[in-house]
Amino acid sequence: MKKLIIALLVVLMAIAPIFAQPVTEAQTGSVYWLNFKPESDAVLQELAAAYTAETGVAVKVVTAASGTYQTTLTAEMDKEAAPTLFVVGNAAAVDTWGDYCYDLKGTAVANELTTDAYNLYDANGKLCSIGYCYECFGIIVNTDLLAKAGYKLSDIKNFATLKKVAEDIHARASKLGFDAFTSSGMDPSSSWRFSGHLGNIPLYYESVADGWTECPPTLKGTYLQNFKNLWDLYINNAAVAPNTLAVGGYDAEAEFGKQQAVFYQNGNWEYDALTTKYGLKDSQLAMIPFYCGVEGEEKAGLNCGTENCWAVNARAKEADIKATLDFMSWMVTSAKGTELLAKTFGAIPYKKAAAPANVFLAQANEYSAKGHYVMTWAFNYTPNVETWRAGVVSAMNQYDANQTDANWETVKTAFIQGWAAQYKAANN
Amino acid sequence: MKHRDSAASLSSTLIRRPIRHWGWLFVGPMLLAFCVGFLYPFFRGIYLSFCRFRTTSDAVFIGLGNYSRALTDPGFVHAFWYTALFAVVSLVIINLLAFAVAYFLTQGIKGSNLFRTVFFMPNLIGGIVLGYIWSMIFDGILSKYNTSILMKTEYGFWGLIILVCWQQVGYMMIIYIAGLQAVPTDMIEAANIDGASRWQTLIRITIPNVMPSITICTFLSLSNGFKLFDQNLALTAGQPYLFAADGSQIRTTEMLALNIYNTFYSQNSVSRGVAQAKAVIFFVLVASLGLIQLFATRRKEVQQ
Amino acid sequence: MISHPGLAPERTRKMILTALFSILCIIYVLPVFMVAMNSFKLNTYVKTDTFGWPRGESFAGFSNFVTGMTFGNYPFFKSAMYSFVITVLSSALILICTSMAAWYIARVDSLFCRAIYYLCVFSMVVPFQMVMFTLAKTADTVRLFGFWGPKLNTPWTIPVIYLGFGAGLAVFMFAGFVKSVPLAMEEAAAIDGCGPVRTFFQIVLPVLKPTLISVGILEIMWIWNDYLLPYLVLDRTMYMTMPIHIQYLKGSYGTVDLGATMALIFLSIIPVIVFYLICQKHIIKGVAAGAVKG
Repeated sequence: MKKLIIALLVVLMAIAPIFAQPVTEAQTGSVYWLNFKPESDAVLQELAAAYTAETGVAVKVVTAASGTYQTTLTAEMDKEAAPTLFVVGNAAAVDTWGDYCYDLKGTAVANELTTDAYNLYDANGKLCSIGYCYECFGIIVNTDLLAKAGYKLSDIKNFATLKKVAEDIHARASKLGFDAFTSSGMDPSSSWRFSGHLGNIPLYYESVADGWTECPPTLKGTYLQNFKNLWDLYINNAAVAPNTLAVGGYDAEAEFGKQQAVFYQNGNWEYDALTTKYGLKDSQLAMIPFYCGVEGEEKAGLNCGTENCWAVNARAKEADIKATLDFMSWMVTSAKGTELLAKTFGAIPYKKAAAPANVFLAQANEYSAKGHYVMTWAFNYTPNVETWRAGVVSAMNQYDANQTDANWETVKTAFIQGWAAQYKAANN
Repeated sequence: MKHRDSAASLSSTLIRRPIRHWGWLFVGPMLLAFCVGFLYPFFRGIYLSFCRFRTTSDAVFIGLGNYSRALTDPGFVHAFWYTALFAVVSLVIINLLAFAVAYFLTQGIKGSNLFRTVFFMPNLIGGIVLGYIWSMIFDGILSKYNTSILMKTEYGFWGLIILVCWQQVGYMMIIYIAGLQAVPTDMIEAANIDGASRWQTLIRITIPNVMPSITICTFLSLSNGFKLFDQNLALTAGQPYLFAADGSQIRTTEMLALNIYNTFYSQNSVSRGVAQAKAVIFFVLVASLGLIQLFATRRKEVQQ
Repeated sequence: MISHPGLAPERTRKMILTALFSILCIIYVLPVFMVAMNSFKLNTYVKTDTFGWPRGESFAGFSNFVTGMTFGNYPFFKSAMYSFVITVLSSALILICTSMAAWYIARVDSLFCRAIYYLCVFSMVVPFQMVMFTLAKTADTVRLFGFWGPKLNTPWTIPVIYLGFGAGLAVFMFAGFVKSVPLAMEEAAAIDGCGPVRTFFQIVLPVLKPTLISVGILEIMWIWNDYLLPYLVLDRTMYMTMPIHIQYLKGSYGTVDLGATMALIFLSIIPVIVFYLICQKHIIKGVAAGAVKG
């Protein structure tokens, strides 16, 4: 028995290296895409498999867990088989990874773009990254439930009316059988909706007032009160107690999908899950802007923009760069590629893009057509974005547990002083 | 002494010389792996602590800048004091509990073996899993009071203490049991005959006799406390945060090892070198603890 | 029977102790029990009703285990298998290579040997954080046979890294034991014309058995539970181990399915407990020996 075990071990150790196939130095090159959007992982794997089946070129898609993209990218860029396709989504990322970006100017994929609006350039004018989708977010509304509560979408025009409707629904929640807002859980699985997306309110309005063209060293925080308005509304008009939000463990998507709440702050990327997984119909869904008590907000539109920009690793092997560029242009031109991209990303800014059957994106366009202003993604200027947001989340947790002015001061500190500290850390 | 010399010379002719021909086989594999897995990364790490780099392959030498940055980082300083406090508190509690359990389990009570088995069991569970088990339990309890382990530094601190106690008491207990079983029974019997109370026997006879075990456990739990990473990451990951006057974050429950990790990965490229400098400082700290321990146990051995 | 004055209170004292420790033991295993219980609950109930029995609307049956298996687009059995492969191969490699090296070092005792020995002792006090950033790069660069063969960042080759980083304690323990083994048998073997390789495997290794078991247990416990080293070293485009998998699920985006996470945690504890129950004696002895030496 003992000898058998030893013999087995020896054999196992001897053959072990065989399993670990050395990476074959293929002439054709291969693609390694370090994906930024975990919710798109399944579709991107499908996309990669489809491309490999069609062309025989290996495509690997690896997805970083939430809040760990920079960590993963840092670790992976140090490797010999570094990602060939990665995300450089904002000015700070250009500063950090600009040297590693292949100049995409004049490449087949860049020529397919319909707009230059989402592209990022470095100081020397090199085209570092190109947008691959644009998104919108706001407050998703279940219009059926809203009607059941006795309201129409047109009743909500600004913060005062939103507040009135939400508080009324919350007060009658037990009679109606649904509540105003879904839970606003602060665990990593959904805190980004608030520290990131809701946090766009003070950043966007300040960026407009001050005309930001790059990351400002300090933040004024003039519009933090508006952020607070909406946040207070979220947490005090939902089925779950505000002081349990730090623990999280809630599933806001399921709450909305199962029609337990009227309002749900999220983006167009939820459309696929809400309609296929939970069977909601287009006619039930609408998205309204962040009404937060800013003057003139009746003319506000949705938050549109992107932090999804492709960069190609300039330090990858020649063959891999070529394979990656080929793969990218396949994605935005072929029927299969555009179909899958539209399915997971919604709208993509390319000439041959498949039209997304996405209610929310259609509404974003409607708002623009009616002359409402687009709230652009000012949070893309955030210095050391993951660290800064983690600080905001921690401060918001304290506030949710006990909604005092002192605790709100901490949130302000996290926003304003936190910004200055992260700016300093990133720029010296 | 004469005898030993001749034995040595005998072994040298019969054993040493033939083995030497096979040295490459006996030491070679281990030495090569040691160079790849330890020596090279170690020295490369020291070099990089003097560099500014984005990935480890594009390093530029900058001198001592990283060290001065590391030492003036309020987060790092906080992590140092927090870790030191944690290590000392956990050291005291773990050892008191472990000694007490070992003491009672060596009194011949029924079921001692079963108890020993149970107490040791958590030691085999990995740090990440431990962290998630206890975060579930603590949040289960604290949510009844509408709060969470992520909300207060005290919760995070004592939570982690409870966690490491659960994990390590059994381990230290085993060492204490081995020590207690080696205490000469005739000494204890003699004390009993002299009418010494249980307490007196414990203080005067048992404890002095298990001093070597106490030394080992003290250093073991101290260095475990300093090196803690997985449990820290899985339980609180540094939450909640405090903000210093200049807005820089202090992650109040972040210990040294986690601080180094976070510095390296979650910030801008300047901080990589700073993280490596922190790692060197951390190494000096932990290594000196370890060397003091080796020295202390060595001296004991000589005395005996 | 004549009652003995000192004995009766002694007996009650012991009975009280037994009772007390029984209660303590039950408290001690509760956390593991809680994991098992929560792995049968639906996602949201893990947080809201942590201490309740899974029943009625909170009962999930085995669905958590089923979803957990392919959670995060990575089959759990794959990470379990890699954990197993890495642990077995690394421990075996460490045992063989370090026992050989330690015997050589102890018997030859030259300046070179002493240098290696003290380097090993030194490596025992170096925390992993000191080498982790550079180790990841090294494992990604160096190949199994120098410049040829697979890289050291796969489950099949990572044992080399474990051997390198974990050699210190093992060499230290083996060398300490070898020094206390009398030379007579090895000399007799040498006189009979037995070469060093045969001497080692047929004579020395059997004598080393208790230390082999102690070191083996310590290495297995370390490697099976290790998170950071495989996380940084393994090629993360292809491989995960169980601790990495669990950490990845908890940190992921979208929604964290706590029920499924608990199911996976439960699954990852089971082999550990089975292993412990089978090898309990050796484990406890090994730990005592390892601690006293190291």
